[in-house]
Amino acid sequence: MALDEALTADQGDGRVRARRDAGRLQRLNILIGALSVPAFVLLWELVARSGIVNIVLFPPPSVVAVAIFEWMRSGQFFLDLTASLYRVTTGFTVGAALGIFLGIMTGQFPVVSSLLSPLFHILRPIPPIAFVPIVILWFGLSETGKLFLVVWGVFFTVWLSTHIGVQKVDRGLIRAALMLGTPRRQMLQEIIMLGALPYIVVGLRTAVSISFYTLVAAELAGTFAGIVYRIEIAQQNLQTGQVMGGLAALGLISFAADRMFAAFAERTVWWR
Amino acid sequence: MQPGHRSNAKLSLAIPQTATATERCQPAIQVSNLSIVFDTHHGQLIAVDRVSFDVPHGEFVCIVGPSGCGKSTVLNTIAGLEEPFEGEILVEGLPVHRPRPDVGMVFQQPHLFPWKSVRRNIAHGPRMLGKSAQQANAIADDLIAIVGLKRFADAFPNTLSGGMQQRVAIARALANQPRVLLMDEPFGALDAQTRAVMQDNLLELRNRIKATIVFVTHDIDEAIVLADRVLIMSAGPGRILRQLNVELPRPRSNAILLEPAYLALKKDCLDVIRAEGLRAFRQSDEA
Repeated sequence: MALDEALTADQGDGRVRARRDAGRLQRLNILIGALSVPAFVLLWELVARSGIVNIVLFPPPSVVAVAIFEWMRSGQFFLDLTASLYRVTTGFTVGAALGIFLGIMTGQFPVVSSLLSPLFHILRPIPPIAFVPIVILWFGLSETGKLFLVVWGVFFTVWLSTHIGVQKVDRGLIRAALMLGTPRRQMLQEIIMLGALPYIVVGLRTAVSISFYTLVAAELAGTFAGIVYRIEIAQQNLQTGQVMGGLAALGLISFAADRMFAAFAERTVWWR
Repeated sequence: MQPGHRSNAKLSLAIPQTATATERCQPAIQVSNLSIVFDTHHGQLIAVDRVSFDVPHGEFVCIVGPSGCGKSTVLNTIAGLEEPFEGEILVEGLPVHRPRPDVGMVFQQPHLFPWKSVRRNIAHGPRMLGKSAQQANAIADDLIAIVGLKRFADAFPNTLSGGMQQRVAIARALANQPRVLLMDEPFGALDAQTRAVMQDNLLELRNRIKATIVFVTHDIDEAIVLADRVLIMSAGPGRILRQLNVELPRPRSNAILLEPAYLALKKDCLDVIRAEGLRAFRQSDEA
């Protein structure tokens, strides 16, 4: 240590020390980051077991872990997961496809925009959850109703970002393409579509989390399987561990979906 | 010979055309009484006022003028990108109403397709005119060699410098073998050194392509170095003040910038521009 300091002093180079300090700080930050979640879980365990709180309403993580394990072992978890994922993915796909198609139409053709945009702008601000009652009236507890809610939530976000993206395509690119003899069809399919893609992808990523919001509303409205449905049933049975396990599962799934989409987006619009 | 037609697989940019009868008697570009009026918030603005000029086949014309004199508007109109206008524009004897593949254009910004490699950017035009991918890539590779970007054929535009991007844009505009090449301040956004290199490159390139070139710039030096003829425009409304023939020997390069013949020409240009500047100043003073 003394030698170390002497060396540093000998060199008289403050930059070496500064760099070493920066490295030390970075390692410390990584260590603290790695400890964050375990420390939180430990604190939770201690508080829940200390008697300050009602252990039935606020179970410790060990109880939650057992609940999750039971849920998985019974096979019910897999059924719930597939039911929920099916709703999210089909709803997202249908809503996104509709949103991209109509966004390109309204963005590119003023007549279509005049016809549809006012309507969409009136419907868009209504929170999708507010449609739950009427969806129950129309579709009962069927899968169509669930799909409708997710599609509804996804559609408007994707439509708006596509519409704006199409309008923001660099005019210079369009002029350059025109000068090179690009026909109308190619212009729309290639230059406009790819020019708007960065905006479309941002809309799609936002729509990923929206599809999970609407999934919650859809499953709370009443169904027979699903992650959120399981949370609700567990709540009615006062199985608080199971409720928290469900929340954790939902968080993990939607986190994974967002990350996967971010990676996909980076590959799709690599030139950005 | 059809525009964009290629007689053999190997690109022979050096004039495959023999002049036909129509070419001999009619200029490549005829602009007669061109007027362009814009509607603005303050009423109508006459951007271009009864401009007329001809460009014979193979000539290199520079249009110089202050910013806002309508020189880019004239160029865009010849390109078929600006409508409506009064007067008549004939390119290769045919009236212009929309962009045509026998007219190429290079803009101030490269406007390359960011999702396409250098090769595919250049191949875009031939592809759109119905060439197979193989043919289009062969055309692109020849042009890539000509503009000296062989190492960057598979690179994407965002990895290239401004000068390299503009070289790709020039190659892309040449890929359809245009009879007329329009250039709208293509080196305006580059630094002085790169600009000088690009000017020399263009002069060299010009010996290989025999397209008629109309080049817009606000830089008098650039205009004289490059052009066979310089059209000087005035602002508000845009009009052609004077035409100057540049009878400096070719091949040229930026080295002529210090020669007496060059300086005499530049003095002529500056006199015209200064007189016009004074006139405009007095006019605005009286008004």
